[in-house]
Amino acid sequence: MRQILFMMNKEFKQIFRTREMVAIIFFLPIIQMAILGFAITNEVKNIKLLISDHDKSFESRKLILGFRYSERFQLIGYENSNSSITEAIHNWSSQMGLVIPKDFGKDLYRNLNPEVQIIIDGIDGNTAGIALGYAQGIINRFTLDHLNRPMDMKAVYAFQSAGIEERMWYNLNLNSAQYMVPGLVVVLLTVISMMLSAMSLVREKEIGTLEQLIVTPLRKYQLLLGKLFPFLILTFVEMVIIINAAKIIFSIEFVGSQPLLATLASLYLFTTLGLGIFISTITSTQQQAMFLAWFFMVFMLLMSGFLIPIENMPAFLQKITYLNPMRYFIYITRDIFQKGSNVQYLKIDILPMTIYGILIFWGSVLKFHKRID
Amino acid sequence: MKHTQNRIITIAKKEVLHIIHDPRSLIIIFILPVIQLLLFGYALDLEIKNVDLAVVDFSKGNYSDKLIDQFEGSEFFHVFFYDGRIEDLEKLFLTRKARAILIINQDFDKEIQFAVSTPVQIIIDAADPNAGTLIRNYCTQVIAGYNQKINIQMPEPLMVESNIRYNPDMQSSYFFVPGILALLLVMICALLTSVTITREKELGTMEQILVSPIKPLEIILGKVLPYIGISILIGLLVLLIGIFVFDVPFRGSYLLLLCLTTLYIITSLSLGLMISTFTSTQQVAMMFAQSATLLPTVFLSGFIFPISSMPQLLQIISYIVPAKYFLVIVRGIILKGNSLLQLLQPTVILGLMSIILLTNAFRRFRLNLEE
Repeated sequence: MRQILFMMNKEFKQIFRTREMVAIIFFLPIIQMAILGFAITNEVKNIKLLISDHDKSFESRKLILGFRYSERFQLIGYENSNSSITEAIHNWSSQMGLVIPKDFGKDLYRNLNPEVQIIIDGIDGNTAGIALGYAQGIINRFTLDHLNRPMDMKAVYAFQSAGIEERMWYNLNLNSAQYMVPGLVVVLLTVISMMLSAMSLVREKEIGTLEQLIVTPLRKYQLLLGKLFPFLILTFVEMVIIINAAKIIFSIEFVGSQPLLATLASLYLFTTLGLGIFISTITSTQQQAMFLAWFFMVFMLLMSGFLIPIENMPAFLQKITYLNPMRYFIYITRDIFQKGSNVQYLKIDILPMTIYGILIFWGSVLKFHKRID
Repeated sequence: MKHTQNRIITIAKKEVLHIIHDPRSLIIIFILPVIQLLLFGYALDLEIKNVDLAVVDFSKGNYSDKLIDQFEGSEFFHVFFYDGRIEDLEKLFLTRKARAILIINQDFDKEIQFAVSTPVQIIIDAADPNAGTLIRNYCTQVIAGYNQKINIQMPEPLMVESNIRYNPDMQSSYFFVPGILALLLVMICALLTSVTITREKELGTMEQILVSPIKPLEIILGKVLPYIGISILIGLLVLLIGIFVFDVPFRGSYLLLLCLTTLYIITSLSLGLMISTFTSTQQVAMMFAQSATLLPTVFLSGFIFPISSMPQLLQIISYIVPAKYFLVIVRGIILKGNSLLQLLQPTVILGLMSIILLTNAFRRFRLNLEE
């Protein structure tokens, strides 16, 4: 036990000796979280809009007003022709154009179904789709107003219609930070525990100090425990800092049980620390270790549901995600954070995650030899 | 001059040997982009389909049946009936059996024949707010379709024709292939250069190079040259996969793309150099390079999320992210067929960035050496 403590002591000294490292471990995650929490949103705002109004009637102005008062669109000017709108889109100065035909107002009253044209830059297909949806919404409201104008009141009452009363559970304000921060906690835990532990072991190899450690009377498990414990502790401190910072910055809620999350996090860390050891056994320079760790990270991140919802993936990719330990922990963390789920509901994730963790950790430790080739 | 050239080539050769000596890293450098592209290509679809919708129908009438049919007929929803206790509804969300619940009141059938608008209740699991919003929009669409159906003579006074330019099918691959190009280039360039130079510092081999008659400028140029080559190869790989696997059209000039990509590579390398001048260990350099490239490039460049939708402060920060300008350039050349004149602004900014980063890096590098 004392040997392990000595080893840990050495590790901590090594970590804290490099000032930049301390900054990276403690401040960077907070900055990253702040950026991510604010940047990730599928809401689309300030779409640069050009309008070409060939009618200039009361009706066309009313329709334009709908676009002007929406914060989704930012009216940047009026154009006279379609070609100048397409040219503006080509030059990146505008994203969308609205063309109102001549006699729009008159045709509306004569029931001639005038056609409004929307020209949109489709390069970002996702944004284009959302923007079209907003535009359609504004036009629908305009249509409804038109149908509901006093003289036609009778006509509308003749229709039967269903409406929606919606309840948004778990995230009333549709705050995206509330959803992203739990995922981010998992990502940061993975980065710190896997990358740092892998690199710190390989560093000893590369600089040659591993030999010195090997000739000490430390046993293999003491060496590994002494190496890994400091990262385990750092990871937990990090987790507490991030969660609390997120509460302050984004006023997000943590509904579930914190001890439960901490327990499950330590189960998850078996996986990442195991991978860290594994990487260090098959590489000899930090650069290699870094690339391998990257390789795992990218795969785990993309296949975890952190950014891309798993339900949206094609079936064969969905199956691959079951191989990814991070997938389970992301589900667990999000559910504990937002829904306050307990073990009963989480066991379908806890079980595979734990099995992966133990297998990976065990395999890696067996592969780690206390000798130099 | 001749000597300088020779010395740069010698250093470059040494660096190439370093790289070849480590085939595993080299393989990863080339395989990683391919895997990333394929995963993104097949997985990145923000459109949700097959949302599990639980239905609780207290009305059990003609009109409510038709409404449920309407939901079943749409490709967004996978409908099933819930017959458990109403108090246990939340279990549907906790066990992830449903993403949304439709509740039709007992009086629905009666009311809809007389009232202006009869509400149905929809409870949405909005833990993921984006998915929540999408599901709500789908519900609105389905209900609108239903209203159309039960009122055949409802007029549609106004038509909308949408003209989606450059990407009529709104394919996401058009969007992410250029994005991945920008991401991979900056990561590989900045990470590799920052680590290779700190590596020499950490291992003490920098001193050996210093006692040789080589000048600092020559060291840097020699070290950086091979990485420009690797980066261009990777860029080519990404482009080929994009064009042949994901059918991204190429509408602009290859030569222009090559020139401006090289400019971007130089900017990224300068960033890596800059990082290597103020870090002393590979670990720190790597973490720093990673945080300076990965997250800003993915999130603050317009790669996935549009910059104009972000809060003001982040929009300001995005001005210093090189990928923001490069994305306009790549997308402009590949998808819109833009000319240099139309891309002058981002090009000039990237050029200025490189100059500022490079001069700073050289100055600091000299200072470092003198210590």
